[in-house]
Amino acid sequence: MQNAEAINVGNIKEEPKVSYLTNGFTIKSWLLTKDHKRIAILYLITVSAFFALGGTYASLIRLELLTPQSDLLQSATYNKTFTQHGIIMVFFFLIPSIPAILGNFLIPIMIGAKDLAFPKINLLSWYFYMAGGGLTLFALLQGGVDTGWTFYTPYSTTFSNSYVMAVGLGIFINGFSSILTGLNFIVTVHTMRAPGMTWFRLPLFVWAHYATSLVMILGTPVIAITILLLALERLAKIGIFDPAIGGDPILFQHLFWFYSHPAVYIMILPGMGVISELISNFSRKKIFGYEFIAFSSIAIAVFGFLVWGHHMFVSGQSIYAGLVFSFLTMVVAIPSAIKVFNWAATLYKGQISYDTPMLYALFFIGLFLIGGLTGLFLGSMGLTVHLTDTYFIVAHFHYVMVGGQVLAYLGGLHYWWSKITGKMYSEFWSKIAAIIIFVGFNLTFFPQFILGYLGMPRRYASYPPEFQVLNIFSTAGASILAIGLIIPLIYLTYSIFFGAKAPANPWLLPGLEWRTSSPPPTENFEETPIVTWEAYEFGEESGLDLEDARNKYKVTV
Amino acid sequence: MATHADTLHDQHYHPPGLQHQFEDMGQQQESASIGMWMFLVQEIMFFGGLFTVYLVFRSKYPMAFAAGSNHLDAFWGGLNTLVLIVSSLTMALAVRSAQLGKRNAQVIFIVVTMIFGTVFLGVKAIEYTAKYKEGIVPVAGLNMKTAKTASTYPNARELSTRTGDTQDPRESLNTGVSEADTHETGEHSYYNPTGTFVWTDASLATQAEQGGYLTESEKIGYYSNGELNVNKFRDKVRIFFWIYFVMTGLHALHMIIGLGVMAWLLWKAWMGTYSAQYYSPVEMSGLYWHFVDIVWIFLFPLLYLLGRHFLHGGGH
Repeated sequence: MQNAEAINVGNIKEEPKVSYLTNGFTIKSWLLTKDHKRIAILYLITVSAFFALGGTYASLIRLELLTPQSDLLQSATYNKTFTQHGIIMVFFFLIPSIPAILGNFLIPIMIGAKDLAFPKINLLSWYFYMAGGGLTLFALLQGGVDTGWTFYTPYSTTFSNSYVMAVGLGIFINGFSSILTGLNFIVTVHTMRAPGMTWFRLPLFVWAHYATSLVMILGTPVIAITILLLALERLAKIGIFDPAIGGDPILFQHLFWFYSHPAVYIMILPGMGVISELISNFSRKKIFGYEFIAFSSIAIAVFGFLVWGHHMFVSGQSIYAGLVFSFLTMVVAIPSAIKVFNWAATLYKGQISYDTPMLYALFFIGLFLIGGLTGLFLGSMGLTVHLTDTYFIVAHFHYVMVGGQVLAYLGGLHYWWSKITGKMYSEFWSKIAAIIIFVGFNLTFFPQFILGYLGMPRRYASYPPEFQVLNIFSTAGASILAIGLIIPLIYLTYSIFFGAKAPANPWLLPGLEWRTSSPPPTENFEETPIVTWEAYEFGEESGLDLEDARNKYKVTV
Repeated sequence: MATHADTLHDQHYHPPGLQHQFEDMGQQQESASIGMWMFLVQEIMFFGGLFTVYLVFRSKYPMAFAAGSNHLDAFWGGLNTLVLIVSSLTMALAVRSAQLGKRNAQVIFIVVTMIFGTVFLGVKAIEYTAKYKEGIVPVAGLNMKTAKTASTYPNARELSTRTGDTQDPRESLNTGVSEADTHETGEHSYYNPTGTFVWTDASLATQAEQGGYLTESEKIGYYSNGELNVNKFRDKVRIFFWIYFVMTGLHALHMIIGLGVMAWLLWKAWMGTYSAQYYSPVEMSGLYWHFVDIVWIFLFPLLYLLGRHFLHGGGH
């Protein structure tokens, strides 16, 4: 059925002499590397640093909201705190998290390529990220910015006396990083697939990244030009966004959300890709409705461009525009629901094992469900008037962004950790951490749904005393969440130095990334693999010599 | 395919220009091509944002846009259009020569393309200078010559006499309305927060008002206390000029980058890098060059050719 070579690809008998980690030890070999795996590591380190910084701002916000008065932070400082939390988390953590780290590392391996199509551009994208991030950090040290991450005009152009220009420029430059990453992924998936790796044999992780990349390429340039106009407006008072001289502040919101709503899908689609991998592989069952999940990613990317107006229901846009946007918002729920139903159907009668990545995947489904369904509340024009700018919105998008993307990111990081580092993390501590994160997350954000429904507005340093009990719950939850996020930092770092050596395929899975050594050699595969199996094929059809692998690694299935 | 690549590795043979991540030249060529098209797609979205801004304000203030556009020199714009179209031809010929492996023809065509590109930027510089001298560069502090006159706008004549400037900047601008007309419209009632943009001609708005085709959004935009206000009209013309400068400025920036790419290409072509087997950098640079041309093809009519009939005495 298969040729001998193809079967051989799956069963790594011995470690290669040089892996990508041991191929050069100098600083230069890292900073000027063109290896997608090393660039992924560079991203991993820097993105984690930004995550920690954004998390610190979040802690400040929650500590301030422990009491009704604005006592820990003054209002002006509080404004800067939530702005910087938003900017760092959105532009420097969520958007690059899964694509630039896991996507960068895995896409070439998953399709059987030696590298991305444009390795130099890939490195350049990291430098853009660093330049943008550095400029933003500089602005934060200078005194920060207080406009909210949305930079709404005319406050940002005319009134705000903070470092809008520097932060704007930082985001502008960082945008090129995500454009270049998206461009690289699209070209790579088109041209670099190994022989036999047809489009419908691609792992769904790759499909999700393809859809994400489309959004990156089509959306990011629009935010670039918008920020440029914003800067010009501040610099020279063009008048384009200033109503005093004939400009249109709502135009800014249209341009901003034309990118930033699709950007929300940049922040969730890769997570969905990770979850598809986890659900199928830890159920040891071919994924249910492969084509539906693949095309639902594309559908989300396409519809995502048509719903930006639902951020502007109360901004004074025409009610007919609102009606259309509301309808299209409901339409996006369909492909999202298709994914959830297919995941559930995949679990049905699967051989489910509750390894740490799978815990994250199951948590994801539950939290994404809550986050997604509350999104429908906000997409309906009547209810949204009541809920706009309350904590209900804050809770909604944190359920999707944190409960969705961050959990998927952590799940993916654990799942591929052995592949990335060649070491095994502690199963015990990772499970403890996953549960702590889940509990802490829900305790943080679920009370915010209630707070928002009761009418507590977002973006204020103080609130009426009757909201205090729920806010204390939320702050307590945030503390638990913070502990939950620090534990992985410790045991993952520990595992790099002291962890057990990882086998090439610790879970006996069929994907191409498990058919090369851990960590992979610089060229990814000893020889170009020939794919003869369908995606998520377990058993004999996968071409893996399961009996041999079981004996070798003593893994029970 | 795998064995093919392995053989190549074993012999340590690489076709010139083949990068390590690709199996063969065909794959590399295809990747470069798709990559360039994706890059152009994002460029389209980038300019697309600007075109949206243009569209919004043009539909909001058509008369101000016509007035601003009438003030641009369609001759220079037309000349530049011609220059760019011809440069696209020479670029295409450069690509063709590369594909045929003709080094000398390739070098010549690249040089000619670069000359056209430089001519374009030169013309642009002439136009910008003229606007700068007239005081319609809408950046505070950038109108060095007219900043003083503009900031003390009502007394422009006295000031310009004092500084030894014999010509009132307003006179060169007035195409249809005498100075008396602008005073009649009561300009001093409206404070211009940004100062330095010199524009007194509201003839098109007056014409539209008399002709009864001033739109509702224009009335909101141009009127103060129920009547046409020159300064409010001026601010809308100023928006036009801003869009003009931002759009053509970003386009010129793309031209400059294009010239940089051409210079690099010229060096490579001179060294004889490209052959019938390996010419994709020439082709990709060509795609970029054509894209920048096409952007101009859209910019020219949208910016230079609005309401030309008003210039020749035409009506609505």
